[in-house]
Amino acid sequence: VAKTSLTSPPWPEVKLPDPVEEAKYHAEVVQKVNQLIAAGCYGRLFAVVHFASKQWKITSEDLIMMDNVLEAECGDRIRMEKVLLVGADDFTLIGRPLLGKELVRVEATVIEKTESWPKINMRFWKRHNYQKKKIIVTPQTVLRINTIEIFPCLS
Amino acid sequence: RYIRQLQRLQLLLSPTSADSRGARQFVEEAAVDFARQHPDVVLYVSLRSGRAPVLLAEYLNGTVREELIANKTNEEIVQLATKLAGQSGLDIIRIRKPFHTDNPSIQGQWHPLTNKPSALTVQGPRLQPK
Repeated sequence: VAKTSLTSPPWPEVKLPDPVEEAKYHAEVVQKVNQLIAAGCYGRLFAVVHFASKQWKITSEDLIMMDNVLEAECGDRIRMEKVLLVGADDFTLIGRPLLGKELVRVEATVIEKTESWPKINMRFWKRHNYQKKKIIVTPQTVLRINTIEIFPCLS
Repeated sequence: RYIRQLQRLQLLLSPTSADSRGARQFVEEAAVDFARQHPDVVLYVSLRSGRAPVLLAEYLNGTVREELIANKTNEEIVQLATKLAGQSGLDIIRIRKPFHTDNPSIQGQWHPLTNKPSALTVQGPRLQPK
């Protein structure tokens, strides 16, 4: 059959490797990463956490603020579940979509519970004698991420 | 390690005026409970007649906030006091970012040359015919 411009797709054809070799390679990589974690030779860890309907990229000792009220008092330690991604300098652990709770541990403390600055909500239509003004003050909480830890129990 | 940012709460009362009735009730009933629940906040109560009742909050970074408690009930003053106890002394203005990190990038910040093959491996157009 003659080859025209539409016989093969325009993207370059990729050959997938052998599944057996692939499995061996995967096992090797997993073992290496496990060894690294067990030896503890990673620097700072960062994590992507789903919290308060938003995803945050957090490291240790950083501040996060949310526009809601948590039930914890000031000074309480909180453990965050729903971790999507954990990474260090050489390796990253990607969850589908979440990582296991035995793998990662993210701890944070509630520092402050304040209110936001007074936001003005005003509606005005000209020539219709219509205006409404409302000042909205939302409660906020400030968290500080204390630690992110990983444990070598991959598979 | 959590340190409360509120240093002192000063309650200015007046024993006779009608608008400090709630403040007087607060002092009689709820002040001791409040002090027990927040052991690291110092609560001063002083009687000043001829002035509006005011709750002064001083924070560790020096900012002083005054809140009027005239014509407020006991429970409202308790809620106000707990709110002030949870705040820190930063100004309540618009904050541009809801997060703050000291080390934003761990694996190196992205610049347009990451994940691209370097100039040594790219084969340019050959000038001499072969």
